[in-house]
Amino acid sequence: MGNGNGSDILEDNPLIPQLARVQKKITESADTISLRLVRADSRPLGYRPGQFNMLGLPGFKEAPFSFSSLEDYTGTFVHTIRAAGNVVSALCRLRQGDHVTFRGPFGTGWPLDKALGRNLILVAGGIGMAPLRPVVDYVRENRDSFRDVFLLYGAKTTDDLLYRRQLAQWNEEITVLLAADRVRGELPLPVQEGVVTKLLPRVHTALSETISFMCGPQVMIKFAAGALLLDGQSAGDIYVSLERRMECGVAQCGHCQIGAKFVCKDGPVFALADITRFQDTLL
Amino acid sequence: MSTSHSISADNLCRWVDSLAGRFQVLGPVAAKRGQNVFAPIDNSAPLALDYCTTMLGPRFFIYPSVQRLCKIDRETNTYMAADPGPARTQLIFAIHPCDMHAISVLDRTFLGPNKDFYYAKRRQETYTVVLNCSRACDQGFCASMGTGPFLRLTEGFDVVMTALDGEYLLEAGSPRGQELIETAPGLQKTGRMRLYEKSRLEQQAAASFTKSLETEGLPELLMRTFEHPVYKEVADARCLGCSNCVLVCPTCFCYKMVDRVDFEAKIVERSRHWDACQDYWFAEVHDGNFRQPQQARLRQFMTHKLCTWVEQYGCFGCIGCGRCMTWCPTGIDITEMAKEIQRAPTRQLELG
Ligand code: SF4
Ligand code: SF4
Repeated sequence: MGNGNGSDILEDNPLIPQLARVQKKITESADTISLRLVRADSRPLGYRPGQFNMLGLPGFKEAPFSFSSLEDYTGTFVHTIRAAGNVVSALCRLRQGDHVTFRGPFGTGWPLDKALGRNLILVAGGIGMAPLRPVVDYVRENRDSFRDVFLLYGAKTTDDLLYRRQLAQWNEEITVLLAADRVRGELPLPVQEGVVTKLLPRVHTALSETISFMCGPQVMIKFAAGALLLDGQSAGDIYVSLERRMECGVAQCGHCQIGAKFVCKDGPVFALADITRFQDTLL
Repeated sequence: MSTSHSISADNLCRWVDSLAGRFQVLGPVAAKRGQNVFAPIDNSAPLALDYCTTMLGPRFFIYPSVQRLCKIDRETNTYMAADPGPARTQLIFAIHPCDMHAISVLDRTFLGPNKDFYYAKRRQETYTVVLNCSRACDQGFCASMGTGPFLRLTEGFDVVMTALDGEYLLEAGSPRGQELIETAPGLQKTGRMRLYEKSRLEQQAAASFTKSLETEGLPELLMRTFEHPVYKEVADARCLGCSNCVLVCPTCFCYKMVDRVDFEAKIVERSRHWDACQDYWFAEVHDGNFRQPQQARLRQFMTHKLCTWVEQYGCFGCIGCGRCMTWCPTGIDITEMAKEIQRAPTRQLELG
């Protein structure tokens, strides 16, 4: 965008959104959709797994969303969105061909380089699977670069598990373990009843040679990280993607601060060891 | 810094009169109830050069409380220009050293790696003429924070003035400040003697402070004592969560976005408004509120200013102006809270 009146203040301005078109809308579950978006000028964004966009609609402001796809340099990108809140509900009502605004990519992303040649445990809860999907895709494309890879993924019910058609496919290259508070319906993979942390005993691998990435509700992060720490994993090897209120995405609006860290600029992915020295980190 | 000049008080007034023809001059003037405020002036007459402090620092003119970012046409999806910057080039006259330091602190947020276009434009189009303070103000502790009573900056401002025996010493902080000085009437070159007198006056002024804060080791101490009971005690007993402290603080940068839609739902105006970490909703997300208790919000304000800011920007977020304690309806004083932690760093919350 920025073709209004050519004012210098609109060019390369991180607060001025760009335009993208909804190429495809995919229903993921009863309350969750994915939008495949294409930038108006089809230029690739050059985003990395774990980074995020501020997605918005004029009149509804903006909210941060991690990329749920792996960059393929065609100018398209996917965000998975669960209807909750004002702007988010408006985004969920979009149809193919509609326009949305975005600013980004922002943030640092998952430290995939640190996981190369090591084991990788991914722990996802609910919509927290979205930012981890590009990690799964990356691992599958570069499977030989990693050792044992586990995905532990939990949701409220079996029906709430996202990317259902892909889970079995993923399981061919990595170990996919699923959990749901209430098991119902059919999935090609077994689903264990209970919270996602109940899957941890089924992970048999040397934790000293392991990196963990997790994203999900605060309680899940607390218990999953706590369990891994108890089992001897170092706080420097556990990475979490955090949710904070964000208005700007460029370390100005102040809302996302945790101690000295700006979640938008220094995160949203952090090593546990870097943030637990501050207050108000987890609920 | 280039050669310094001095100018008589009368000529200083004439200089301001002429500057008002070239710039939108913003200077300290008397307001109701014995207060002073920074306001636009057309000539030197309303200037209150002996002002002590103002409720709002002049950051307001560079980072306004409400700033339009863009207008969006929802039908054509086009973006239109936003805050075009000041209508006339601004000149803030007689800004005190602490407030000048505050602007240089704000620069680190808005002129860092993610340069903010709106701030940069206003900052560039605002000249700053500093007036050194010859005496301490009631609640100020700038001498402790290294931001006063005389200016410690070597760049980022245009002119610094010092009142010396009825005259004013003028020194330039930038080439455009030098050019500004050269337009002053009745300018006299000053010798080394004047600069010696200036440093003597600075020592006198620094000695006149009654309020102080030991900053040595303070960030490290506060980082270790997030659980200190002083936060809960003060928050429970006195903090109303009114956000006055944040709104008057000259280094606070937080904002929220606001979209305003016109009647036909065609044009959306997006602006940013100052926001406050003392607000209940400030750190709320779908999953919950990270600073739900008032003590967490009060602690955020104080530890940000005196602790985590240093890690973020390499300087304190407090320039020691004393505004937050002056305008707090219950007189909460972050220097007193810091002193309590310094006095008894390991004190625990008493049960019962
Ligand atoms: S924290 Fe208080 S004393 Fe320090 S700069 Fe802000 S308003 Fe002034
Ligand atoms: S001004 Fe005082 S009462 Fe109001 S939020 Fe700040 S510390 Fe609390």
